[in-house]
Amino acid sequence: MTSDQTDSSTPVEAPDDLSGTIWSEVDRALSGVTVRPERGVIDLIVHIPADEVIGGLRRLKTDETLDFNYLRCLTAVDLEADGMDVVYHLYSTNKKHNLTVKARLGNDNLRLDTATTVWKAANWLERETAEMFGIRFNGHPDPRTLLMPEDMTDTFPLRKSHPLQEIEILQGEGMGYPEEGE
Amino acid sequence: MVASRETYGTEFETQDLLLNVGPQHPSTHGVFRMVLQVDGEVVKDVIPHIGYLHRGAEKLCETMDFRQGIGFMDRTEYLAAFNAELSYVMAVEALADIEVPERAQWIRMILCELNRLSSHFMFMGAFGIDVGVFATPFIYAWKEREQILDLFEEVAGDRMMYAYFRPGGLAWDVPHNFKARVREVLKSTRIGINDFDGLLTKDEIFRTRTQGVGVISAEEAIEWGMSGPSIRASGVPMDVRKDEPYLFYDQIDFNVASRTEGDVYARYSCRMEEMWESVRIIEQCLEKMPDYGPIMPEKMPRMLRTPPGEVYIRTEAPRGEYGIYMVSQGGNRPYRLKVRSACLSNLQALKDMSVNQYVADAIIVLGSIDIVLSEVDR
Repeated sequence: MTSDQTDSSTPVEAPDDLSGTIWSEVDRALSGVTVRPERGVIDLIVHIPADEVIGGLRRLKTDETLDFNYLRCLTAVDLEADGMDVVYHLYSTNKKHNLTVKARLGNDNLRLDTATTVWKAANWLERETAEMFGIRFNGHPDPRTLLMPEDMTDTFPLRKSHPLQEIEILQGEGMGYPEEGE
Repeated sequence: MVASRETYGTEFETQDLLLNVGPQHPSTHGVFRMVLQVDGEVVKDVIPHIGYLHRGAEKLCETMDFRQGIGFMDRTEYLAAFNAELSYVMAVEALADIEVPERAQWIRMILCELNRLSSHFMFMGAFGIDVGVFATPFIYAWKEREQILDLFEEVAGDRMMYAYFRPGGLAWDVPHNFKARVREVLKSTRIGINDFDGLLTKDEIFRTRTQGVGVISAEEAIEWGMSGPSIRASGVPMDVRKDEPYLFYDQIDFNVASRTEGDVYARYSCRMEEMWESVRIIEQCLEKMPDYGPIMPEKMPRMLRTPPGEVYIRTEAPRGEYGIYMVSQGGNRPYRLKVRSACLSNLQALKDMSVNQYVADAIIVLGSIDIVLSEVDR
């Protein structure tokens, strides 16, 4: 995986063969937005900078030929030193095509506008992503935890830095099991 | 239809009541809790609480190699474990570019459709209890489901947690009498579905109880990301098997069951029709499946590694779209694994479906989307 994707001198992988994909349509609908396409194993992947992604998603949804009215999945990937990717899997129930949208967040600024204004389906998915990765979705209508305990807001289990076995100890004072020797 | 505060005028002082349902309530189908805000008998707000069954399957899979992860997929969706495994192994196969032998694909298809039947039988039985047809349909459903689980045990060695699909094909070949056994099971299944048709579908009381309850429109259903029979009942004929065929669904003649009413009865009857379609699919598979042939590619490495990449695989599980988003950075384990749970997305729409319904109807609305909490919480 390329780590320096923000660098302007790296569109080395741009000559991906995008024929047979919906890239030309996506490019047209997202004119004015910085987009970098990539050919995925099955679906087309487009990378959009984090501050433009919600506007881009709204355009993808309202565009008549693309018509991405269905949000399949929303999640994040922790890339450790490179930040985090928020990943949107879109689908059109009428046109039957798919698109993956990715937005890269820096580790010092894990914030993104909410996608609930575009699809209601993003509601619980964003709540889950927020509690698992510590990403804040600005303007989310219901920013409670979803799967985790309500007071577990200081540790994020799906981050790579989170240990697998010591969750109890990390759960904050009073909640974890006390250390019983070694 | 629904009596509200306005009906009685304002001279009585009324107060909304918070009613806690679950997490151990039998009609919440597992450990699901919802807080209903009720005005008399009428639900005004629903606050669902989930996460009681969260085990961190995604994180665990990131620490295990591709074959070890299969077992965890069974445990996310324990009523349709073959379907869950299928998504997972298809994701690995897509990343590692493995070609699956034809015979293995047919066997996978037959087992997945049988699993759909067993899962829908489970729904019919549990839903009967929700509606108030106590015990009778449950016992009927159990009898039929048992036949299918017996067959699964003969094939995979386990009744619910199979770990039978492997990247590349199957763990081992099916028994020599597989086709005969499937036909035998189908025979009893057909009788079973017929019984249910008579027991529930044609029952006047059942219809009165379920028709017009918990309606959700097509636009709302799409907006909430619902899938499976729950969205097809609202007039969106969305089915991954038809829209983006995987395995050999493009070679099979079948219909996508859909309704337009969007109520509880429509969701029920969609599943009923789907069961007949599954029987049709299995029958065609049995005819097309070769009797002999490999079930694994010839050259499978002992340690499976994939090149870096990512893939989102979706398949049509009994409850809707079961998706696996797998990111690999090379190596023998997924770097990130996300399970897209159909039930989680369906459950989001619960509030829209149950507000302004009676409390008793909120229970059957919950029953009609057929949730499996271990899939919701993962």
